[in-house]
Amino acid sequence: MIKHIPILVQVALLSMAVLIPLLRGNKAAKSKGITVALLFISSVFLLILIRDVRDNGAFVYNFGNYESYIGIQYSVNIFSAFMSFFVITLALIIMIFSTKDIDHEISRQSISQYYTLVLILLFSMVGMIFTNDLFNMYVFMEILSLTSCAIISVKSKKENYLAALRYLVLNTIGSLSVLLGIALLYMVSGHLNMSLMGQSISLIWQLYPTNILIATGFMLVGFAIKAAVFPMHIWLPDAHSNAPTPSSALLSSLVVKIYVFAVYKILFDVLGKDIVVGLGIPGVIAVFAASGMLFGSIFAIGQKDIKRMLAYSSVAQIGYIFLGLSLMTEAGLAAGLFHVVSHGLMKTALFLSAGSIIYYRNKRDIRQLDGIGVEMPVTMVVFAIAAMGMIGIPGTNGFMSKLYLSFAVLGAGQPLLLGVILLSSYLNAVYYLPIIISAFLKEPKSKNITMQVEVLPWPMLLALVTVGILCLLTGFYPKLVMDIVTQAAKIFLSA
Amino acid sequence: MNDFLINLANHMNYIAAIALFVIGLYTVLTHSNLLKKVIGINIMETSVFLFFVSIGFVNDGSSPIIDLGSLGKIYVNPVPSALILTGIVVAVSITAYSLSLIIRLYKAYGTMDLDEIMAMRSEVNHD
Amino acid sequence: MIGKSKHQPGKHAVEDRVFPKFNIFSINSITVMIVTVFILGYFILLTQSDVGLTILGYKVVFLERIIKFFVDLKQLPLLIIAVPLVGGVIEWAQGRKSDDTRDITVVYTTFVTLILVLAMYPHALDGTLTYWLKDVLGFGLSFKVDMLSLTLAMTTSILWLPVMIYSHKYMLHENHRSRFYFFMSLTHSAILGTVMAGDLFTMFLFFEIMTFSSYMLVSHSESNDSLKAGYSYLYIGVLGGLAILLGMILLSVFTGNLSFIPMADQLAKMGSFRYVVIGLIMFGFSIKAGMAPVHVWLPKAHPVAPTPASALLSGVMIKIGAYGVLRVATTYLFPASFQITDYKDALWSVSKSFGSGLIWLGIITMAIGVFMALQQSNIKRMLAYHSVSQMGYIVLGIGVAVYLGYKGAMGYSGAMYHIINHALFKSLLFMVAGVVYLYTHQLDMYKLGGLWKRLPFTALICLIAAFGITGMPGFNGFISKSILHHAIIEAYQYGSPSFRGAEIIFNIISAGTVCSFLKLFGFVFLGKEKTTHYSKQSFKTMEMAMAAIAVLIIFIGLQPEYLMNAFIIPAVRAVTYDPAFIDKYVVGLKYFTSSALIEMAGIYALGIAIFVAGIRFDLFHIHFPKWMNIEYLVFFPINKILQLTCYLLGNCKTDADVIGQSKGFVNPFRDDAFADHPRTLSFMNRLVMTADLFTHRYENALIKGDVLIYTVIVTIALIALVIFR
Repeated sequence: MIKHIPILVQVALLSMAVLIPLLRGNKAAKSKGITVALLFISSVFLLILIRDVRDNGAFVYNFGNYESYIGIQYSVNIFSAFMSFFVITLALIIMIFSTKDIDHEISRQSISQYYTLVLILLFSMVGMIFTNDLFNMYVFMEILSLTSCAIISVKSKKENYLAALRYLVLNTIGSLSVLLGIALLYMVSGHLNMSLMGQSISLIWQLYPTNILIATGFMLVGFAIKAAVFPMHIWLPDAHSNAPTPSSALLSSLVVKIYVFAVYKILFDVLGKDIVVGLGIPGVIAVFAASGMLFGSIFAIGQKDIKRMLAYSSVAQIGYIFLGLSLMTEAGLAAGLFHVVSHGLMKTALFLSAGSIIYYRNKRDIRQLDGIGVEMPVTMVVFAIAAMGMIGIPGTNGFMSKLYLSFAVLGAGQPLLLGVILLSSYLNAVYYLPIIISAFLKEPKSKNITMQVEVLPWPMLLALVTVGILCLLTGFYPKLVMDIVTQAAKIFLSA
Repeated sequence: MNDFLINLANHMNYIAAIALFVIGLYTVLTHSNLLKKVIGINIMETSVFLFFVSIGFVNDGSSPIIDLGSLGKIYVNPVPSALILTGIVVAVSITAYSLSLIIRLYKAYGTMDLDEIMAMRSEVNHD
Repeated sequence: MIGKSKHQPGKHAVEDRVFPKFNIFSINSITVMIVTVFILGYFILLTQSDVGLTILGYKVVFLERIIKFFVDLKQLPLLIIAVPLVGGVIEWAQGRKSDDTRDITVVYTTFVTLILVLAMYPHALDGTLTYWLKDVLGFGLSFKVDMLSLTLAMTTSILWLPVMIYSHKYMLHENHRSRFYFFMSLTHSAILGTVMAGDLFTMFLFFEIMTFSSYMLVSHSESNDSLKAGYSYLYIGVLGGLAILLGMILLSVFTGNLSFIPMADQLAKMGSFRYVVIGLIMFGFSIKAGMAPVHVWLPKAHPVAPTPASALLSGVMIKIGAYGVLRVATTYLFPASFQITDYKDALWSVSKSFGSGLIWLGIITMAIGVFMALQQSNIKRMLAYHSVSQMGYIVLGIGVAVYLGYKGAMGYSGAMYHIINHALFKSLLFMVAGVVYLYTHQLDMYKLGGLWKRLPFTALICLIAAFGITGMPGFNGFISKSILHHAIIEAYQYGSPSFRGAEIIFNIISAGTVCSFLKLFGFVFLGKEKTTHYSKQSFKTMEMAMAAIAVLIIFIGLQPEYLMNAFIIPAVRAVTYDPAFIDKYVVGLKYFTSSALIEMAGIYALGIAIFVAGIRFDLFHIHFPKWMNIEYLVFFPINKILQLTCYLLGNCKTDADVIGQSKGFVNPFRDDAFADHPRTLSFMNRLVMTADLFTHRYENALIKGDVLIYTVIVTIALIALVIFR
């Protein structure tokens, strides 16, 4: 029974997603309840799966009991179990937040449609994490790109349409590159299964090197567009800033990371570490990652809109993850995956608190946020904790991921990158600290405010406080996550 | 010369696919009309599907229906065609979604030209 | 120029009411004071002789068990850090109801912390007070309390108590009092954590917490001046933190170990890279210590903070920076005692180079501090510059301690003693300034005068503190300056003769200090009365608090042997110094020799002469031209790079163009008052303006070219892979 949990979770998500349009009556409230309950149950089941994988080891799950060379296969190991648990739990927190927030963002009829889209999004994310088959990954990727564009355009404002269209065009171009790469690899190996292809790749490399080279080029660039590596991050600021807050949080913390996992799988399961290092790919990734780290922060300094600033900050943080990836050592991969988790938590906290401010005050401009810490203390405290994490203050998970990344960088013998990491920490401080300072220490522009305990509805508060506590918890006891992530890195490197 | 032409004819599918991909990419790049960009993406998608299906062809293969009578018969690979059916569905849905977005954009901005829309947007942004 | 900050009491402040002399707060604080005096006296007796706990008779068994429990408690460091933290939260909760209950809680929390710190003495003396907290922050936290840490912790806690009693009355004139006390307690907790840390990682954690919580103290009054000073403080502090982090990571990768154990042999193996690593760590700590040339935040931050916060910032926090430098220098740069034989061993070369650098930096800091202090009219700003100068003394002592290697015990003791002394008299001076401000609402010393008639007790306290800082025999400054003077003489006796010049400058600066305090006391307390607006309050509790510190100053000045034998000499013995040297020169040091007294008299005469000359020739009003901005010079290379970037972006030939073009963008550091001369643009302002211009120029262009970028990159990637594989 436990072996079936991955597909059961997916079936549950998909069937509930299809069921929501068939509801009668108060569709909005019912769809919210169904979503939250379903996500909660799924995360409990995935926790059971993690326990099972840790005790009994990894396994592969063949669909329809077809063998791996003709059927679709799911690979369930500690990495995929933990990451899907992380995805579902973070989505749960965001969905709890959205139960109150979404009423202010989109029209009433669209609310149940929104939850349908979110459930399909989660379905495809879980699928992409577990899958071991290249074309299956492509299918889930397409579903993911469609639904992620859809949750931006569900809000009917004209900037959203343009942002969604641009995101869609770039996503499609990226998917087509990936499909071309898959085609080239299938052409010479006859396998679509990642493990089988990984085993036979050394033989193929002798016979047909050109195919593999062109395939690698297309696939990596395709995934780079979707994962928002600088300079192909262009769609990200518009998309993440104009979307409704729960969508921004989902997109920035989760969707982009799924493509990072796909790159991990391609580089390590399909191609294998030796070919990748032989081609000199890590150096190129490192250059793009480092420039992303610096330019993402530089662009963020000049932004007026708070969500747009957070979106550019995401670009910089994704640079960190790819920097960890480019080191090709166990410590580097583990640091990159740890930053996936910690950035997911921090960015969710930041977007949710920014969303709360917009919900309460309807103001997005940074210059008008003076004194808001008095009215919304809990929100700003959570924002401050997450911002401290981004800067790298000890006690937060951002500091631990920077520390692990620094040790990995030095262990791989690249001291110059250490300077880049610290410089981008300082640039982060340049644009995050003034917001916190002006929120708590400046007088608000309008004079009629009273100090209340909290002005937000309780679901939003609950979500904010939970994610803030998780940030601090993983900051003080990073071993909880780091152990799992190190084992995952070992699995990748030994494949 | 003969060999060159024979080679060309043998690999016509690859050349067509690459040519279509480049034409599609060029369309997306240079035309500023949104509808033409969508058409360009469709052309790119078609090129990739063409490529994928064509690699399933096996020389001297017959259509992939099992003939229990004769053993050792060579069949054309049916898997790419099946995969591309899925791909075509994805392409259609992407096209449908982008067309509906273009309709909404036209209603909001009054034009389908991306440059004009960007100009209108940057006027609004600089306040 | 910051000058006198216009201070308006906020809408929640309690204005010039006349308070009854004995309200509940003063009763509680007097009780706590008396109990503390008894406990401290008892402690002194305990440490001097083995009198044991037999004085009180039969009641003592119960007391003895409690004391033994706390002394032997393994988690004592953790408890000491937790008490102010929990106290801070309780205080904030109580602050909503009543000011008095909150302040009483503050005083009691500080008292409990002090008792717990005292309980650490026996185990710190025998070196067994260590504690290891597993798995926290990934690498675990380790605490190790030796005599140096204990001395600093005791100085902090003993000083914190009177300042908290003092601040009750003072803070009634400010807003957001509960927030102030919460961050004070958080800072107290962080300072104790920093000094009790057993490795660099733990120290870094608490150091960063200290930086951020003290930022809230600096910008407490939320005026434009304090926010600007706060930005400067915060960003330079973050820069220092990143420098320490970088050095720490490099050190950990090269030596695998961050605990404070002697590492000279491993450092020698690193070659000249060790200068980068240790230099970064020292750079980070010296920013906090207010060492030149990165002291620029100090004269901005200390005047704008509320006076209790200034007293503790100047009194304690900058010492933590000095403690960091001292700890890193005397453990990482020193070899272990079994590895060397004598003074000329090759392993000492590691510390020699750092030591001479520190000595000269200390001299420069002293000189800049005193010179700038003589030009100030704002009392608090003058005291801030004197903090810079006195930190120069301490850094000089640390420099000698490191430079002379095996024979550096004198410099070490001088630095430690001066840390304790400066904490006492500087905070006392700030408290005096606070009383003067409360009484007259005026901080400009040229506008004050004749206050000795109206505030006689305060004038006496100010005199005691001034004698302390200038080194009058009989007060504490004399002892530490003598030890430092001996240290400098040893530096050129055993080391390079160039330090002869350092000794001469040392004497001149002491004379300058005398002159400056003569100026302060003369203009504020003597002479004719100039202002007429006087407040009607009485300051009895504040005066009691100040009196307590003044008593300590006199006690330490008259009985230096107690401090030396009980604290400093055990601390010196724990470091790798020549025991024979310590026994010969440091243990039996005679302080009140006639040569020392004559020298002091000479310095005082010189100081009076400079003062008279200054008044005659009006030397105290030198205004520097605007282009000689020290902050511009410190960040010179970065400023140049930023100017170059702006130039390359086009259309920006001068700084005025840059300012003009970036007017429409978000810039929290924008300061319209400084637009007149480009050199006064703060570094952060310039950085943000450059980033704004860059974004403005390139963001839209990037968005337009999205597919084009993809095409270009795919083409390049394919070509690179296929052709160059």
